[in-house]
Amino acid sequence: MKCKLMLDRYLQMKNWIKITLVFAFLMFNLAGMAQKQRFPKPEFGTGYSQPTPVTPEPRALALEYTDVVVLLIVLSLASWFAIRKRSRKGLLWLSVFTLLYFGFYRNGCICSIGSIQNVSLTLFDPGYAISITTLLFFLLPLIFTLYFGRTFCAGACPLGAMQDLLIIKPLSLPEWLRKTLGVIPYLYLTFAILFAATGTDFIICRYDPFVGIFRMDAEFHMVVLGIAFILMGMFVARPYCRFLCPYGVLLNWMSRFSKYHLSITPAACIQCKLCSDSCPFDAIDYPTDEKQSKNTKWGVNRFLVYALLIPLWIFIGGFAGSKAHTWISKANPTVYLAELLLSKPEVRNDQKNLDVQAFLSSGKSLETLVKEATVIRQKFYSGGWIAGGFIGLVIGMTLLGQVVYRKKNDYQPHKGNCFSCGRCMNFCPVKK
Amino acid sequence: MEPENKLKFSLNIALVSGIFCITVALLLLLNFMQMSKNKPLESKALTSLVKRLSQEPNSDELKQEIRNFDLLARKAYFNSQWQVKTGGYLLLFGAIVFALSLRVFIGLKSKIEEPDVKDENDLTSRIMTQRWVMITGSVMIVLGLVASFASVDHLQKYDVNESLAETKSIDNQDKVEVIKVGEIPNATQPAIADSTKKLVAGNTAKVDTSKVKATLVAATKITFPGSNAIKVNASSFRGPFGNGVFFQKGTPVEWDAASGKNVIWKTSVPKKGFNSPVIWGNKLFLSGADQQSREVYCFDCNSGKVLWKQPVDNITGSPATMPKVTEDTGFAASSLTTDGNKVYAIFANGDIICFDMDGNRVWARNLGLPDNHYGHASSLVMWKDKVYIQYDTNKSRKLIALNASTGETVWETARKGKISWASPILADINGKFQVVLSTDPMVAGYDAESGKELWSVDCLSGEVGPSPASGGGLIFAANEYAKLVAIDPSKNSKVWESDEFLPEVASPVTANGLLFIATSYGVLACYDAKSGVKYWSKEEGPGYYSSPVIADNKLYTFDTSGKMRVYDMAKEAKLLGEGNAAEKVTTTPAFANARMYLRTSNFLYCVGKK
Ligand code: SF4
Ligand code: SF4
Repeated sequence: MKCKLMLDRYLQMKNWIKITLVFAFLMFNLAGMAQKQRFPKPEFGTGYSQPTPVTPEPRALALEYTDVVVLLIVLSLASWFAIRKRSRKGLLWLSVFTLLYFGFYRNGCICSIGSIQNVSLTLFDPGYAISITTLLFFLLPLIFTLYFGRTFCAGACPLGAMQDLLIIKPLSLPEWLRKTLGVIPYLYLTFAILFAATGTDFIICRYDPFVGIFRMDAEFHMVVLGIAFILMGMFVARPYCRFLCPYGVLLNWMSRFSKYHLSITPAACIQCKLCSDSCPFDAIDYPTDEKQSKNTKWGVNRFLVYALLIPLWIFIGGFAGSKAHTWISKANPTVYLAELLLSKPEVRNDQKNLDVQAFLSSGKSLETLVKEATVIRQKFYSGGWIAGGFIGLVIGMTLLGQVVYRKKNDYQPHKGNCFSCGRCMNFCPVKK
Repeated sequence: MEPENKLKFSLNIALVSGIFCITVALLLLLNFMQMSKNKPLESKALTSLVKRLSQEPNSDELKQEIRNFDLLARKAYFNSQWQVKTGGYLLLFGAIVFALSLRVFIGLKSKIEEPDVKDENDLTSRIMTQRWVMITGSVMIVLGLVASFASVDHLQKYDVNESLAETKSIDNQDKVEVIKVGEIPNATQPAIADSTKKLVAGNTAKVDTSKVKATLVAATKITFPGSNAIKVNASSFRGPFGNGVFFQKGTPVEWDAASGKNVIWKTSVPKKGFNSPVIWGNKLFLSGADQQSREVYCFDCNSGKVLWKQPVDNITGSPATMPKVTEDTGFAASSLTTDGNKVYAIFANGDIICFDMDGNRVWARNLGLPDNHYGHASSLVMWKDKVYIQYDTNKSRKLIALNASTGETVWETARKGKISWASPILADINGKFQVVLSTDPMVAGYDAESGKELWSVDCLSGEVGPSPASGGGLIFAANEYAKLVAIDPSKNSKVWESDEFLPEVASPVTANGLLFIATSYGVLACYDAKSGVKYWSKEEGPGYYSSPVIADNKLYTFDTSGKMRVYDMAKEAKLLGEGNAAEKVTTTPAFANARMYLRTSNFLYCVGKK
């Protein structure tokens, strides 16, 4: 009886959830819109002169180093919780701290994910010098991952924490879908590097879906995106981490070679299968099915074909990338402006087009602009070959990975995909 | 806590936080609706107050009231901004509590179930994966290729154009099309004899010889007009020497296109063009052009009848297609120039042509396709035997002097600086004529004989449209977003500068110690030419593109709506008369025979006292 009551309540609850979600969604949007309303500058007839806008001072160096120290501590704690202490609770509270500190207090910036772009820009533009803190934010998590697995994702990444805390009813996704969507982070990483290296844009930052929530201020479409990710994340656990995060690609690589990695069981797996459904991210590898992996002839043939196809994928990918460079380079503001002025000279009369007006009043000649744009486009051409080739390689390798069987006897986290969140540990009946 | 109680507790928290979220959300929605409905600074009360202020501009009480009101409105605005921000935080907080309690609730509710037998067949799933990864890869490649075909590389096109223009201009450098002629009678002037010899040298075009003979006879008699002859005509854009001052008497101060008041005649011009009339004697010249063709027209000043109309075609080196130009520049923006013997016209594609006063073609050539993102707009000006062209392109900046009789390049001075749309003027500095040009960044004077740069002062910036003006031994130049400067060319230095009112298109004009500026936002300002002291400024009409000019010691202005206002040349603004073309006017009027000639978007008017 009591149970029935409970269930009724629960169903009622479900409706509430829906309504709330819709409202929350609406509200975030409205809040975002309201933020964008700008108030006209007052006009003073008296002697008052408008103060000139100033760029805020960069964060004091001491505080920047504090951030690095905090990161270091959080990383160490996360690794300790995941590997030595085996405490899911510890990781949970650590991620709450991370969310508050790196998310809401530091407004999602400085961020290891975004630091990829600073690193690429430094590598390609000698005029840009990366700050030591940014470099550390880029390197520290990678180094930790190389030793302890993705404990950064478990406890030190505010984006991950946000999503992890909002997982409500995770659904398991079929493997083909996971693997296919899994190509996206590579794409994103490639474009992020390409755009950063050409000085075009920092797309990781621009399209960070959560930063608007951290800052309580964002453009309308970004708020929509943020809410969409949160809503999706309630059912598809950590959607950004799994199907977008470009830093996750690097972490995944590092983690595969990690020296110590979280394990589900502290001792020997007794094949009880209790943990098999415990990972909301489908990151647990099951023991290999002997029957299937025996089917070797088919596997060997495919392996050979796929292995031989890899160079072809690289070449075709590179070719397509180089071909698409004209189009992609239009994302660069200089190229865009130059093309706009060339293809539509009448925009010069458009007082509302601020970019054009700024260019006109800068006194720079069209010739110089076009020259600059051509240089950038050239970079995109070579970048297109590399980026396309890399994506081709990723496709080729993913295919190859599908015909390779590695023998596994136990239930184990997939070292690359596991976020070391520690959920599965609680399901294991073996204690020491 | 008992699990049962825990369950209840988390459910209750979820409910409460859920309701909290909805309430906050509703409040925020309300706030937002209110905010978007009421524009704080557009409230009725405030607008009516401001309106009242325009009626009684000196009421301090009213001003205070407006200030109070304004402050209130701003306070209200920031208050609601604060509410939004706080509401956002509350909502976020509520949402977090809601999510957490819900998590706990769902976590507690779920029991450990017997793990499902893995229903995914590993092999089929792997095959499926391979298929989808392959599809994704192929789709990306196809997208890349499609993108390459769907996008146009304008930059590369630009380069092609550039090099085309470049090579053409080199090819055509001195390839002048010359008309076949017969024996030449003895020349009266050595310079002419020289040039006519060159005329004989080439022989390309097929022209009726009798006509040519007549031309030639006329040509041999040429004596180039002196400055007095030029002054009584309107030989260039903005009158004699391009300086904006017409030496005419009895010009009309009132007219009306709609009622016909003081309109002596009105006629339409076959093809469009933003060039202004130039006049010599009884002949008025205009040009018109479109994508397909270019023409030069000669009108009778007394009747408005077209005396002749000649196509501008068959020019060696002329590009097959017209360059891209903007709507408000067009293909015939440059005004013609005449010396009473011949008339010269230039077009947006670099074609330059010379006719005699009867419409016989004398020479024509192409200067190379100008790379000019608005379209070539600089007008022609001439002195003695040379026609001067400010030939600015994005590629190079040049002052070119052509031999008026043959079209050959006499000299060419490369200039630094950026492309400009201003026109050259001729300034008499210490008894010698100089060609003065305005460009970003410099205003400079060049010897009219040799083309040598005599002085240069860096003072302008941006895309320069207004031409310079000269008077009282000074040169005046201005551009929007830059400065208005007075330059002493003999000292190569600025005398004064100002940046209060700056023109975008209309050129400054000066006479009797006064300097006038007409801005594109409707301000007409008068300065003391020597000191830069502002005497008056007046804001009227939508703005000036047409350059203000002086005729009969009066200042004539046309705003873009076609309204003419005539002011006294005085230190106070005194309106002497008004007129109305009742349509858009961007050209500059010309004065001759005590009449005013004006080209509007559609017509050519002759205005005079009836
Ligand atoms: S995958 Fe990316 S976003 Fe997710 S926790 Fe790791 S670094 Fe953060
Ligand atoms: S720790 Fe366990 S539950 Fe968490 S991601 Fe790794 S495998 Fe999944």
